[in-house]
Amino acid sequence: MITSASLSFAIALLLAQSAFAGEVQGTLSSRLDFYPDHADGTASEGRSAEVKIDVFHDLDESRVVGEFIARGDEKDSGRRITEARQAYFRTPLAGFDVFVGNRQEFWGKAESKNVVDVINQSDAAANEGKSDKLGAPSISAERYLGIGDLQLWYISSFREKTFNDSEAHPSSGLPVSSAQYARKEGKDADDFAARLSSFVGDWDLAGSVFYGTARDPILSVASGGRALNPYYALQKSIGLEAQYTGDVTLLKWESLHGTQSSLLGAHDFAAAVAGIEYTFYGPFETMWDIGLIVEIQHDDRPQAAANQFGVAGVRLVFNDIADSNILFLASADRKADQSVVSLEASRRISDVTSVKLTSQFYNARTTTSTFGQLSDDDAVTLTLNMFF
Amino acid sequence: MKLAAASMFVAVASACLATAAFASAEKGLEIAIEADSRDKGFGDSTAQITMILMDKYGQSTERAIRNRTFEGDNEGDKSLVIFDSPGDVRGTAFLSHTKKADSDDQWLYLPALKRVKRIASSNKAGPFMGSEFSYEDIASQEVEKYTYNYLRDEKLNGLDCFVIEYDPVDPKSGYKRQIVWMDTTEYRVHKIDFYDRKDALLKTLNYENYNQYLGKFWRSNRLVMINHQTGKKTELVFADWKLQTGMTERDFEKSALKRTR
Repeated sequence: MITSASLSFAIALLLAQSAFAGEVQGTLSSRLDFYPDHADGTASEGRSAEVKIDVFHDLDESRVVGEFIARGDEKDSGRRITEARQAYFRTPLAGFDVFVGNRQEFWGKAESKNVVDVINQSDAAANEGKSDKLGAPSISAERYLGIGDLQLWYISSFREKTFNDSEAHPSSGLPVSSAQYARKEGKDADDFAARLSSFVGDWDLAGSVFYGTARDPILSVASGGRALNPYYALQKSIGLEAQYTGDVTLLKWESLHGTQSSLLGAHDFAAAVAGIEYTFYGPFETMWDIGLIVEIQHDDRPQAAANQFGVAGVRLVFNDIADSNILFLASADRKADQSVVSLEASRRISDVTSVKLTSQFYNARTTTSTFGQLSDDDAVTLTLNMFF
Repeated sequence: MKLAAASMFVAVASACLATAAFASAEKGLEIAIEADSRDKGFGDSTAQITMILMDKYGQSTERAIRNRTFEGDNEGDKSLVIFDSPGDVRGTAFLSHTKKADSDDQWLYLPALKRVKRIASSNKAGPFMGSEFSYEDIASQEVEKYTYNYLRDEKLNGLDCFVIEYDPVDPKSGYKRQIVWMDTTEYRVHKIDFYDRKDALLKTLNYENYNQYLGKFWRSNRLVMINHQTGKKTELVFADWKLQTGMTERDFEKSALKRTR
């Protein structure tokens, strides 16, 4: 079994051992969260800061890569973390590129949700619904096969999803108790995955298989209603991805089919996202790009907030020197019982600073629904990034 | 009788004009093919680029970019552009497989997400990184992407040049035409005037500081693009040109995007 700590130590040793032939870069992010609309009519705020160090070092054909994160938060201990998001050794071996250590990988095509993106656990406490991830302690191999890229994954131990404190936001208001697993090895159970991705003309295609612990836990309220119990099921699944890239139209498909074994027995499930993105390039004699996004999500796993969501949005790219852009997305379930509206805007301030504004507003007709519990958690977040 | 003579004259004159037009198209194409063939065999190349963007008031900001190109055999060239600064786009990489006739295939690598994203290549006229260069300006130039019209010989900065009109084949090009000045001895491009879709002069690109590599291949070390309509200017300053470095086609597959740092 590979532990993050032992790996980080080994990589630190490797880095220290020989003359440094690489680069070190850092990002310092300070973040202000504003929660304007708590259920009791009050508002509150939170502050956090994160430092990320990216480092690599070359040894002949091989490379050591590190991406280390330390995050502090004024109030929310769930968001505090020190993490080797990446800490791996890469070397060519028997025609493959072999990676040993913590690694981050992205699978998927869609914009609003990536159901096939199964390798990493989500660092959900850092950014709800966003792309922050925890490194997967793994041995992986990649090879170009002529028809496409093959990836093989062995993930040696499980990372639990991070949760915000019960007092923090977003949160159900209940503390999260220690996790239960369908697999008797618990955290030490091994996961396996493989993916073949390719492109033919205007089509980018991929197929993947996964055997391991489901990344999203099934949450249930403990007896007495004082805690949330996360339960991680066993998942066997097949993922399919396709994207058609036309002149101005992108068509996207992602689906995950399989079985999930839990206390309730084994259940077949299907999750999919289908989408279309249409872009107007340089409309109204401007340099802007205006993209219209429509996606439909289906997910019949018990972890999903609703079986069906429709998502519509606009992406505005200004193509200016400051790289200004805005993404607006609105999602609602089929009966419009739950909806969320989000806005993301970012721009560069200088060569070494950028700023990002994000906001989420939840709406729900019933307080028992997932979004109902989040109705306390509308948030406006301002993040300032400094690069060094 | 007079009428017959006149119509005879008109017929002869139009035939001559048609032949002249055909001849100038043929000569334009010949020059373009010769220029292309003189650069054949460079194999691959790498360069460090500083992009300097200037607004009309002269205020400037800089970007650091690395460029890698792989010479195509039957298809067009493949190129990889990696951003080193500013900080917020550090590690972002752009891969393009140029096609001679079809639309290019293009992917973007987003380092924060470790995500490789296929992007539509129809946005040829759009600005590259907020600069005065559009995507089609930085794309590899293939003979098949234009029709040609040789206009005249003319001196430019003391050099004998062909002046040729390049007409983009692709209707999605941002240009109606380009006027290209190419010297008659080494077939190097020295200046391009870009005319927008309404046929108004939009931009001028000047190529400066040519150096020859491996005794054959000419590369410019400074490109200056001026936008006449906005007054903005972008300079590309090249350093450390290397040719025939031994890169392979694999270094230009989409999986290579994740390994560009």
